[in-house]
Amino acid sequence: MTDPIPAEARAANLRLWNAWTRVHEKSAFYDVEGFKAGATSLWPLELEELGPLVHEGTTLLHLQCHFGMDTLSWARLGADVVGLDLSDEAIGLAWRLADEVGLSRRAEFVCADLYDADAHLGSRVFDIVFVSWGAIEWLPDLERWAGIVARHLAPGGTFYMAEIHPFAYGLDEVPGEHDVRVGYRLLPAPDQPVVEPLEGSYADSGADTTGLVSYGWTHDLAEILGALTGAGLRVEHLHEFPTSPAPFWDWMVRDEARWWWLPDGEGGLRGDLPLSYSIRATKPAT
Amino acid sequence: MLDDYLKANLASWDEAVGLHVGSQMYNVEGFKKGRCSLSDIELSELGPSVHEGTTLLHLQCHFGLDTLSWARRGAVVTGVDFSGEGVGAARALADEVGLSARAAFVQSDVLALPDVLQGRFDVVFTSWGALIWLGDLERWAQVIAHFLKPGGTFYMAEFHPYAFLLADDAAPESLRIGYPYFQYGRPQRFDEPSDYADPEAKTQHTVTFEWNHGFAEILDPLLRNGLRLDSLHEFPHTIVGLPFPFLEVCEDGLQRVKGHHEDFPLSFSLKMTKEG
Repeated sequence: MTDPIPAEARAANLRLWNAWTRVHEKSAFYDVEGFKAGATSLWPLELEELGPLVHEGTTLLHLQCHFGMDTLSWARLGADVVGLDLSDEAIGLAWRLADEVGLSRRAEFVCADLYDADAHLGSRVFDIVFVSWGAIEWLPDLERWAGIVARHLAPGGTFYMAEIHPFAYGLDEVPGEHDVRVGYRLLPAPDQPVVEPLEGSYADSGADTTGLVSYGWTHDLAEILGALTGAGLRVEHLHEFPTSPAPFWDWMVRDEARWWWLPDGEGGLRGDLPLSYSIRATKPAT
Repeated sequence: MLDDYLKANLASWDEAVGLHVGSQMYNVEGFKKGRCSLSDIELSELGPSVHEGTTLLHLQCHFGLDTLSWARRGAVVTGVDFSGEGVGAARALADEVGLSARAAFVQSDVLALPDVLQGRFDVVFTSWGALIWLGDLERWAQVIAHFLKPGGTFYMAEFHPYAFLLADDAAPESLRIGYPYFQYGRPQRFDEPSDYADPEAKTQHTVTFEWNHGFAEILDPLLRNGLRLDSLHEFPHTIVGLPFPFLEVCEDGLQRVKGHHEDFPLSFSLKMTKEG
């Protein structure tokens, strides 16, 4: 099958994620030292919603795993994990981290484009397939993505994702104000990637990203849920939240649990708009 | 308090029935001559599931035009609305077009329907501007599950939750936010002496209470009550009926956001099956 990601987009995003990996390893946002000292990198959301299904020996596939901290956090809870990511620098760092924290026996990392997952994973199936925070925006074709999810889930297995909300991707700040408006297309356009020069990173807004460009794709909930149901999964829940794990603008407000909100005050939108969501789905046992 | 909301909304809807029956938008004369009032969305997506003898329950049916349009296509229909005026007009219309043998109308708040209606149905249908009048979708989902036969179909075509978010003065170059997506159960109060089907009308019962519901709020209770998601579709257009200044009616008769004809979802459809 042809790669749904155009060659120039694939090359640009690979450059970007390799550069971001170097920035992120040292960022306060990712806090790699904290992780090494034992802290989980997972959010209370996914720990609460997926955690109860993760036991000693549960097999878990983490798609688009970046440099593997979340993957390894699941391994710390007992899972036997495989993380997959397009960035060779991220996968290299993930292996080093696994070694350093003593998890390399229950963690494996695969460097591959998402759409090449089948070639690398063969017929392997997992109890859980996990996707989180800023993953599917890099994918033009969610039907093929959902097919990969379904093929690598064991019968009766669970798919879980926690993600930035499609509505939030469409928001833009009103210039000069701490306010938002709909600034981008909200409906999918698989043939029209959103191509943008990078300004820093979501984890470090001051990072030097000169010359880097990102290629992303717009999705909506209908497309996401349609892709999963079309692949034969049964949707168990959709939850929406007015919070994000990373700020979209520097005037967003952080709470004690580290979630970012739109600000309160006169005309403020705190709590009003969907900024993230989670989906749990299962693969029928027969 | 919920009863006060219901009372205000009921007074508004009782008054609206008379206006709507005579309105150009509802075009009752056209319907009497055979025109179908259903939109292409529900016709193409639910139509194939409606055959001769299919039993169909239409929740929040207003004065029954859509209910009777399904009956014309062979369904044996039951329409439910909380407005006595609406139900009365629906019965009269069914008589007039010769469909009263296959169409029944029940006056009831949709959330109280199991108290007054027996039976199970092949299809439960609801559409266009129904959900904003309901404060409790958990109970709503229970009612739908209650009335569906095992293997039966729930279908809805509705205005998109995003359509209710934009500020009234949103312009194509700046689609500002005016209303919340999450309402945490609290309705918005409106006080407007006009009507969506007849903007020139001066109404007596001007105060209404409305709830916008996000996708999770709509979908989750249905999933919890044993319905399986078959499809969710989002569309950049809607049937005419939203009175927002940032919308325009296009040549195909559908409303879109000015300057954003393909960008912004204004309606959605949901199809689910009760596990059999």
